[in-house]
Order: sequence, then structure tokens, then C-alpha cells
Amino acid sequence: MVSALLSAVAVFAQAPVLPDAPGRDTLQRVCAGCHPATVVLGHGMTREGWGQIVATMITRGAKGSAADFQTVTDYLAKNLPPTSSISNSASPRRTALSAGPRDRQIIDSKAAERGKAIYTPDCGSCHGPLARGTSNGPDLVRSSIVLHDRYGDKIGPYLLNSQPASGAEPIASLGAKQVQDISHFLHQQVEDTLRSGPYTQVLNVLTGNAQAGAAYFNGAGACATCHSVTGDLAGIASKYDPPTLQQRLLFPRTVAFGRGPVTTPKPVTVTVTTENGESVSGTLVYIDDFNVALRDAEGNYRSWTRTPQLKIERHDPYAAHEALLDKITDNDIHNLVAYLDTLK
Amino acid sequence: MTLRLVFCIVITGCMLCGQTLDPNKLLQPPVDTWPTYNGDYSGRRFSTLSKINSQNVRSLSLAWINRTSHATGTLGNVVKSTPLMVDGVLYFSIPDHVFAIDARSGQPIWHFSWASKGGWHLGNRGVGMYGDWLYFETPDCNLVSLNSKDGTERWHKPICDLDQFYTATVAPVVIGNHVIVGVSGDDLDIPGYLESRDPETGDVQWHWSSVPKPGEPGSETWPNAEAMSHGGGMTWVPSTYDPDLRLLYLGTGNPQPVIAAKARKGDNLFTESIVALHIDTGKLAWYFQPSPHDTHDWDAVETPVLIDGEIDGHPRKLLAQASRNGYFFVLDRTNGAHVTTAEFVKTNWSKGVNAKGQPIPNPAKEPQVDGALVSPNQGGATNWPPPSFSPATGLFYVNANRAFSEYYIFDDNEKPEGWGGNDRGGGGESMLQALDYKTGTIHWSHKWEGPGVRSGVLTTAGNLLFTGDASDNFVALDPQTGAPLWHANLGAAVSNGPITYELEGTQYIVVGAGDTLFGFIMLREK
Repeated sequence: MVSALLSAVAVFAQAPVLPDAPGRDTLQRVCAGCHPATVVLGHGMTREGWGQIVATMITRGAKGSAADFQTVTDYLAKNLPPTSSISNSASPRRTALSAGPRDRQIIDSKAAERGKAIYTPDCGSCHGPLARGTSNGPDLVRSSIVLHDRYGDKIGPYLLNSQPASGAEPIASLGAKQVQDISHFLHQQVEDTLRSGPYTQVLNVLTGNAQAGAAYFNGAGACATCHSVTGDLAGIASKYDPPTLQQRLLFPRTVAFGRGPVTTPKPVTVTVTTENGESVSGTLVYIDDFNVALRDAEGNYRSWTRTPQLKIERHDPYAAHEALLDKITDNDIHNLVAYLDTLK
Repeated sequence: MTLRLVFCIVITGCMLCGQTLDPNKLLQPPVDTWPTYNGDYSGRRFSTLSKINSQNVRSLSLAWINRTSHATGTLGNVVKSTPLMVDGVLYFSIPDHVFAIDARSGQPIWHFSWASKGGWHLGNRGVGMYGDWLYFETPDCNLVSLNSKDGTERWHKPICDLDQFYTATVAPVVIGNHVIVGVSGDDLDIPGYLESRDPETGDVQWHWSSVPKPGEPGSETWPNAEAMSHGGGMTWVPSTYDPDLRLLYLGTGNPQPVIAAKARKGDNLFTESIVALHIDTGKLAWYFQPSPHDTHDWDAVETPVLIDGEIDGHPRKLLAQASRNGYFFVLDRTNGAHVTTAEFVKTNWSKGVNAKGQPIPNPAKEPQVDGALVSPNQGGATNWPPPSFSPATGLFYVNANRAFSEYYIFDDNEKPEGWGGNDRGGGGESMLQALDYKTGTIHWSHKWEGPGVRSGVLTTAGNLLFTGDASDNFVALDPQTGAPLWHANLGAAVSNGPITYELEGTQYIVVGAGDTLFGFIMLREK
């Protein structure tokens, strides 16, 4: 089974094709603005993980509607689920278009486990448990020898011959298989250090004071003007984890990435008044410096060429949240999240 | 014309015909040639052409399109390169691919494809040219030289180590007999550098490291030799050059590890710095650091634009950068002395500006385990797309973004490596800013109807400014007022810096959007 999976992954890496499933076209359209959509191939993540990737892409300028981003996240979560945790993954990121060389070592997690058992007592005291070095031994994650190594072909000769300058004893007792196991362990540490490794999770945002958060909610933050903890926000902490609560209160227009139900953001509405006095309201569909379009309550699509005489009045349901970004302090944010987290 | 083509085919190696770049073209304003990434060495991206102007631009119309995906199968790559135009031929690139097309018709002439061994295929900024030869960098760390006549490979030379997660994106800049090459890579901690290569052999002429060695100037801004030697400072964006001072100007990238900076305390020179290097030796003449000890991925690589201006009634040789951290800097380019510092969008990460003109980072706005709300976001107040300076208006134009995000530490180990954190957020707004170069004050600001604009800018003596908006439009504006005058929706965001040139009396405007290059001319009169 494992070898079948491995060969499937290898074939996949050689001829990257996005799985044919609903949402593929949206993925290609949204992602191809900056990079080939095939860049996702070879990765496997939870919905939360993919949501965070999509959120990052939005901060880097990805273009699309809220519905587009939701479609993309759904497509990725469904078609590229986690194979297992990254440390156990047979092939964490061997795609044609990701960072680093294409012939990177495919980590055998069982071998890495065996390697760890050798490394930890024999090497870890000087090179550190994560192989990031100590005052007694250099960093091995950023070591040129390790990064050029494939399956022990550079580490092996180095260990067996020792290096006079390093002062380390030659380790002649290690067999070829043990060297390869150590190699898998070290390459696993390298993969874990890369941006796609395990250090991509928010650790803890519950550092605030819930009481102060309640005061901000009802006072300076003016949250209570629109929200109620017994109404729309009742039980909100049962739906969303703290990092998601934090993101949602600051960036409500961004699709709710993270744990919890996905909601579609409320649209911007617009009232367009023409020179002859006709006034049409609806959901804003498109606007640039030259044209504007909306969909009215009956579902009719209407568009106009913008002129100085055409009046456009916009209503942004999240205007208060956007205005908050210039006022709210980091303490306010942490207190508010602590308070919202009490609304189980 | 036909006779001339035949002549070229019959007599190979002819120096009078075909596409040979006269080195003098690099020292003149770009008119019938666009011979280097920025059109000339100044980085102004200003053209003296005025046949297309604010009076007639409403009649600007599409002449041709050239779609790269036709040549590259399923690769959905984006044209981020600024094309060169030499003797009627455009040369441009996407990662692993170089194209030569007819500058009049958009017709393909040749296409070179590189068999890649990996690397981050993020974008390719274009090619450099020396005589008959083209130079470009590949994501798998090679400098490749091609024959401009037919796209055949002359040689390739390694310029970085792919196994250490280096990659390459920058357009080489040719200065005299120096091919200036930069390196990229932001995954595992590695030092950045800039090299001068021999145009004939590709061999190293000089090597300048973005990080010092122990004991060298700048080493006092790092905690130890190891942090320094893995300290980042990539050279992502083409340099500018002053031929009189013989100084090359470069902006360097973020320090590494990128976000979690516990193990690199200090200012981290010469990352996030504007540096002046002697062109013959690569030795540092002076430096100015826009972002000391950056922890937000705010590369200071944005084009250092050279302005011959006047401050307090005195003529000055100046350099201006609208930096990713949200500040506009003006320096004296003879010695690096600070002239002006001003925000070009509102930011929230500094505690003010010090006597040297540098923003003072607020430690509370460094990434935190529980998050810090920071503006700009990681994408920055601006990014690599080239700005423009018009000597006709005295204004510096840059597409700007104002957005917030929460910056988190994900790796709270004592020695985080790689990134160790990231930002999360969304939304924001985009605007085109026109800045007075003397004071940095915003002369006008044109807000786009949406966020996330990343388009380069071109200005011309025709009282025009060309750039992209948030809705896939290619837009011409009045550079004096910011009023939009003309647009064409290209179906994808403007993804490079537009260029212009004149051939047989016809002025062309050429721009990239998505995987396609578009050529525009005026409607022809009967």
C-alpha cells in the first residue's frame, strides 16, 4: 500500500494535473493571476490548513469574490486532503513548481523514526533535538552537507571519515542502513522548518482579559451597537475557535477561514441615480472608474457608464469593522477575543 | 525591409543588421529602443515620446496580442517581465521561457524553453542584452546566455545553490561589460548577494554579499557569525546606475529567518537596505537602511529611482524609493545622505523617524504569539512592480496598498528558522499616489475601486501615465491631476511595467496582463 502510494505520488509529481472536480476552473482563474494553479499539487491539508493558505494569498493580492475564495477552499479541502501529518507524509512537497530542487529526498517516516532513535542519544546533545545546533555543535538543518545529501550519500562519507576540523570522532560503527535512517531524520527536520512544515499554526490568542473585553464590547468598541451576545453572537465560541474569532472580528469580509461554519460575507449594496432621476438599488456586482453594475431585488442585472452626473451611493455592511482597524489596540483585540470566547 | 531581411539571412553574423544592441542606447532616453529593464539606467520609466498624448489618447486602440500559453502548453504563467525592444524585436520572459516577437505585429520569432531542475517559479522580471547576446536567470539557479537572432543557447552558468533553496527571478542588467545578476529565495535561511558576470564567459567578476563577515562593517548589527551568515537580503529587483558617478544602486530584501527573529537581534545590515556599489569592484560606497531589523517580510528591493532635481534651490543628484514598509525615502545619491522621509500610505508599525531618516520599529508591532495588528500587511504598501518619475511634472508615481493583517509567531522555539510565523488578514484598499519628490507630500491620490493592485507605472512627455487598476483595466491617467482618461479591460490584471517605443513614426504602448502581452497604437488615419 505504501509503495503503491509512493509511486502514485511520484507519477503525480512528474505530470501535475489538477483533479477534475467542481471548483477547478475557479481555482485556475483565481490562482493563475500570480502563479500556476498546479502549485497546490503534492500538498495535502485540512480545510483549516487550506483556508489559512487561501487567507495568506488574499493578503498577497489574490483577486476574486468571497464566493470564489470559498469555492477554492472547498475544492482544495476536498481534493487535496491531508495524507497524514506532515511528519508522517511520504512526500510533503514534491511538486514541479515549489521551492527547492525537484529531486529532493522523499522522506520515509519509518526510517526517520529509526534515525531519530540513533540521532537523539548520539548526536542530539551537541546538534540539538531539532538539529538546529547548540554551542557544542553546528546547525544541521541549514548545513550544506545535509542539503546536498540524498539518502545518506553525503552524510555517510562525512560521518565515516569524520572531519579533522570538527573534532568529532569517526562513527565507523554505523552501517549504511543506519546512515540512511539518520538522513531521513535530518531531511525531515529540514522539511519541518520550511514554510509548509508544522509551524504554520496559530499557537494561542487567548491572552486577554474577558472582563476588559466585555467593557470594550459595550463601550469604546461600540460592538453592541450592531451585535448582541444573547442574539446574533449567542454561542459564537462554540462555533469558532479563538484564532478564527480574532480573524472574523478584524476581517469579517474575508471568508471565515479556520474552524467553524463557513459563512458568505454580506454584500456591498449600492444605489445608482441617473441624470434623469431614475434610482436603482441592489447588490454591487462590479465597479471601476468607468462602469458600475448591480443586481436588483428582482434579480435583474443593470449596468451604467460612469459620468459626473451619475450618482453612486454605497452601503458597506462592514464599514464599522474597517473603521475599527485604525482605532483598536492589540490589547483591545486580545481582551475582546477572550470575552467572545466566553460565549459558549 | 524585405531586402534587409534577406541580407541578414544570407550573411550570418552581420553586425549591421539583425538585433544587435548599440551600447550607447543604454545611455540615452528610450525612444526607438527599450534596451534594459527600466528603459534606461535611471529607473524613471519616463519616455520623451508624445505622439500619443492626453489630447488624443481616447483613440488608442489594440494593435496585437501575443499569448505565451500558446507556446508553453498548460503553464499558466504570468508576464511579470518588462520586455526589451531592440531593432524592432521584443524580448520578454516568464519562468524558464524567453520569447522574441515582432515589435510591430506581435508575431512570434522564436521561443526558448529551459528544462528545469526545480526552484520557485514565482516570476521572471526579464532579460538583459549585450551586443547580440541575451541573458536571463532560471528558477533553478542558472544564468543562461542566448543568441538574440535565433534563441539558441550560447552557454549557461550556475549562479546559486538550488539545494540550499536559492532561486532566481531578476532581470540581469548590463552595464559596460558587466552583467549584473541577483538571487532570490525565502524558504531556508541563506545570505543574499549580487554578482557581476563576464558577458562573454559568464565568469564572476565581483561578488557583493548582503551580509557582512565577522569583523567587517555591519557585523556589529548581528548577534553572532552564524545568524549573519544565514541572514538573507535577497537581490530580487534590477538595479539602477549613475554613469557619471559609476555607482550602481540596489535595494536588498528581508532578513532571514523572515518572521520569527529571536535569533537575529540587531539591525541586520545590509538587509532591507539601499546600497551604492562601485561598478568596477562591487565595493560598498554607502548604504541607507529603510527597515532596520524587519520582521514583516518588507523587502526594501523596490526600484531606487534616480532623480536630477533641486532641493532648496540647489541642484542635487537624488535617489528616491517608495519602500514596501510604507515610507518614501529621498537620498543624495552621491553619498547616501538623507534628504526626505515621509509615509506614502498611513502605517502603524513605527515610533517615528530617527535623525538619520529611518523609521524606528515599534517592538510591540513585531509578530507576536497572540498576534499583532500591523499595517501594511505582508504584501506591503507597494511591492516589486516598478514606479515612475516624470521630470515633466516633478512627481513620483507608485501604486500603493493600505491593508492590515495580524502577524503571528508560529514557532516559539529559542532558535526559530525559515519563517516561524506569518500574517493573516484580508481586504484593504489600493490607490495610485503622486508624490512631490522634494517633500514626499501626496500631490494627488487616485483611489482604485478595489484592493490588491500590483501594476507597474509608465509616464510620457505626452502628459500621460499608464498603469493597471483593481479591475483588470489598463488605464491612462493625467499625471498632473490623476484623472482617468482612457482604459481597456485586458481580462487579467496588468502584471508588469508598461513600455513605449516608436518605429517608423508610430508610437507603441506594450503591456503584460496575465499570460499575454498587448500592443497598442493610435487608430490609423486614412
